[in-house]
Amino acid sequence: MRTDTRRQYLAIAIFAVAYLCIGLLVQNSYYQLMMTLVLIWAVMGLSWNMLSGYSGMISFGHAAFFGLGGYTMTIAFVNFGITPWIGIPLGVVVGVIAGVVIGIPTFRLRGHYFALSMLAYPLAMLYVFEWLGYQEVSLPMKREAPALYAQFSDQRAYMILALALAVLCMVVSLHVERSRFGRSLLAIKQNEPAASAAGINALRWKMLAMMLSAAMAAAAGGLYAVILLVVTPPTMFGVLASAQALIVTLFGGVGVFWGPVIGAAVLVPLAETLHAELGHIVPGIQGVVYGMAIIVIILLAPEGIYWRVRDRLAARRPAAPLPAAIPAADVAPLATDLRPQIGRPLLRLEGVSRAFGGLRAVDEVSLTVHDGQIHGIIGPNGAGKTTLFNVINGFLPADAGRMSFDGTELAGLKPHRVCALGVGRTFQVVRAFPRMTVLQNVVVGAFVGAGNDADAERLAAEAVARVGLSPAEANAVASGLTTRQLRLMELARALAPRPRILLLDETLAGLGHDELEDVLRIVRQVNREGVTIVIIEHTMHAMVKLADHFSVLDHGRLIASGPPAEVVKNPTVIEAYLGKKWMDRAQDTVA
Amino acid sequence: MQRTDTFVRRLVALTGGLAACAAFTMTAPAPAGAQQKPVKIAVIVPLSGPWARQGTLVKFGAETAVAEINETGGIKALGGAKLELIAIDAGDTAEKAKNAAQRLVAQEPDVVGGMGAWLSTFTLAATEVTERAEVPWLTLSYSDQITARGFKYVFQSSPTAGTQSTQAVPTLIELGKSATGKAPQSAGIIGDNTASPVSFLKPMREGGLEKLGMKVVMDETYTPPLSDATPLIQKVRSSRPEFLLFISSTISDLKLGLEKMNEFRLGKGAIPVVGNGAHMGAPEVVKNVSPDLLEGLMFIVANWQLKGQDRIAERYVKQTGEPWITQDGLAGYGHTWILKEALEKAGVADKVKVAAEIRKLDLKSGPAADAFPGGVKFEANGRRAGAPLVIVQWQNGRPVSVYPTDRAFAKAIWPKR
Repeated sequence: MRTDTRRQYLAIAIFAVAYLCIGLLVQNSYYQLMMTLVLIWAVMGLSWNMLSGYSGMISFGHAAFFGLGGYTMTIAFVNFGITPWIGIPLGVVVGVIAGVVIGIPTFRLRGHYFALSMLAYPLAMLYVFEWLGYQEVSLPMKREAPALYAQFSDQRAYMILALALAVLCMVVSLHVERSRFGRSLLAIKQNEPAASAAGINALRWKMLAMMLSAAMAAAAGGLYAVILLVVTPPTMFGVLASAQALIVTLFGGVGVFWGPVIGAAVLVPLAETLHAELGHIVPGIQGVVYGMAIIVIILLAPEGIYWRVRDRLAARRPAAPLPAAIPAADVAPLATDLRPQIGRPLLRLEGVSRAFGGLRAVDEVSLTVHDGQIHGIIGPNGAGKTTLFNVINGFLPADAGRMSFDGTELAGLKPHRVCALGVGRTFQVVRAFPRMTVLQNVVVGAFVGAGNDADAERLAAEAVARVGLSPAEANAVASGLTTRQLRLMELARALAPRPRILLLDETLAGLGHDELEDVLRIVRQVNREGVTIVIIEHTMHAMVKLADHFSVLDHGRLIASGPPAEVVKNPTVIEAYLGKKWMDRAQDTVA
Repeated sequence: MQRTDTFVRRLVALTGGLAACAAFTMTAPAPAGAQQKPVKIAVIVPLSGPWARQGTLVKFGAETAVAEINETGGIKALGGAKLELIAIDAGDTAEKAKNAAQRLVAQEPDVVGGMGAWLSTFTLAATEVTERAEVPWLTLSYSDQITARGFKYVFQSSPTAGTQSTQAVPTLIELGKSATGKAPQSAGIIGDNTASPVSFLKPMREGGLEKLGMKVVMDETYTPPLSDATPLIQKVRSSRPEFLLFISSTISDLKLGLEKMNEFRLGKGAIPVVGNGAHMGAPEVVKNVSPDLLEGLMFIVANWQLKGQDRIAERYVKQTGEPWITQDGLAGYGHTWILKEALEKAGVADKVKVAAEIRKLDLKSGPAADAFPGGVKFEANGRRAGAPLVIVQWQNGRPVSVYPTDRAFAKAIWPKR
């Protein structure tokens, strides 16, 4: 990973030097302007990619930041005589503030609702700026000391400025991609609940991404206004600016910083050339050709050119030997086969309730999980088992009752905070980050328990080994795994930050007989190493072999609790949930 | 004969090598009529996007003038050199307009002057480029900013937006007086909240009307598009101004207003309605709004067909197939003639010298002066000196000029109270 990062730096440097050389050699001022605009729109694309590409929160409103950057610089210049050299950074500050102000309410929304409300901000600003009387503001021409006001007769100066900004944004993006920041965003993009349950503070990372993204867009807007020399609300806040950011990124490649650069380098000159060559012959045809070009590319390369080319190259190259991802020596030897002592109460629930409208999904449940225990929660479908987990780990707030973990009150804590206390969980339907490898999935889970990224990688490798996944499996992409591998991967992700208690939601579901035994063995092993386990399960057969203690839920109520042998003999439980047949069989096994 | 000639020449070129070829073509006689290199002028206007129609009308005007000039012997001071018009699409954004101008100065370094880019925003962006390239640039755009930036190569042939809004009401008062014998005392205002209506109405709203002894009996602002004009027109009905300024940037809003006025029996000039902008007199307006509703509607423009422009209009209509010439066509035509006159005086196809000659022009007659009421003479800042407003009124399905009264085609229909 380190060498790859160094290689990316080299690639950026080569790109910058090559672009600079071409830009300096080009004599035609029109081509110089084109080369500058390519970079401006690349920066806008990078800005969009920072928020929407990495975190998946699609924004249709990046023009808000672009416009604020441009207008801040312009108003500072025209009304207060402040040079754009200060005005552009000032615009960046305003953009970042706007990012926070917009982010706080808007991050409450998801999916289309987020995208649509983002669309509203620049449109509202457009009217505000018109109302303020900034319909057409032109930057005064400075005939004396023009460089002091970022005015150059040589277009190449603008190109160099834009290149510097673009390279800065590329380097920042590279850093984000390769750090905890980027991987957390990627985890949020692929499965936000899973990311929160794995200890990622989704709001914090999204807000940081928004601020960085807004800063880039505002800088692009400021520089754009310096080049265009005229700002109007439709140019700065119009849908076109937002759309352009989105289009260059989708075209070039989403979620990778090369994407917007490739997209802008192809589309900006293409659109302009079409406009220049065809516009006066068949008016409007350039829009049709441009649209067709985008449609064709999206059909051929749905995730953008970058990914398409990368996949092609990867397919042509002989399969690279798998990197030794797991430093085998680091893995601690597994603990003794002795069961830990059942200790003091660790997780305590008192009268916990949660209703959905009139349905009482969890109804005054009180139970205690002791340190070192394997605590089974059983009950028919719809009994409220998963809801109970969701309440414990903070996905759902409890309506009533108290919950404490090792003396710490859990009520009101967000999932990532609960996770940080040492409560890990898995899901009934595995919530993987499908485009990451197994190891990367687990690394995401490890962040909460690690001081730095290297620690997280070490913890992840350890967890992968603990659940018995091979190095080859660890490097496989999650979307291609079997159920067993997925269950183990999720277990590893939950184990990576070294939790004290694991909430396992139907971890054994969908496994074949041998696989089941395998996973059971691993769960027992984990428990032996000192991790308390609460497990929801339908496979009674396995459950009876595994758990020390049963709690039975029905219609949200706890109807029985005690050692499995007792619970399965409890006539109410048998009659209501297990049926007569089960009792005969269970007695054979338990007795 | 010619074919053999070419063949032989090619053969020689092939056998004699590159040098021989160059020598041969250099000594080959030039085709007749091309003694002089054509002189390039440019028109950058929107030829695609929402303003394509207006941009095309400017281009039509310029083409009409170029054809006329070339037919009558080209630029005489340059040995009869022909004019060549380079049309570049300004598109639909300021960025594209700037790109268009940059392309012009980069790829046509010998262009001696140009015109455009219709929309003020585009003109502001494009002239940032042409000014730095020292290309004399003529524009019909209204924005005061165009000639308030201290630029030396920009010439604005229209009265600026500021002039128009300060001159509009005194002009209307004069027109009302000349039509009815009595100066109007009260006015109503309806305007949308987009850039141009807001700035047009600003001086009037800020006491401009009161200063002229007018009473503002109603003043309404709306956000386009208008969905229902009833509340606005009800205010007109209850306050009954002597004329109504209805400043709308779109025809559809105006149409709703006119329909509602008709319904309330205020239409057909019962209360004279005055709008702003040449788009209100474009030939396609009749396709959207019935001539019945338009009857009596007035609008303020920078230029419209006046007496003395018959010849221009005739030629324009013949060449383009348009039913009548509008401000856009007149500007394209007149700007081309201004460049022609300056070229004749400069005697050389040089942009800086042409600009210097434009600054010195003082034309009272001829095609250029005919095209612009008030003649062609530019002030130091690039604005055309003494450019009057023109008021046009829809009469019998056609927009005809009613002011300035000395050159207008018709008398204004203005009801007596």
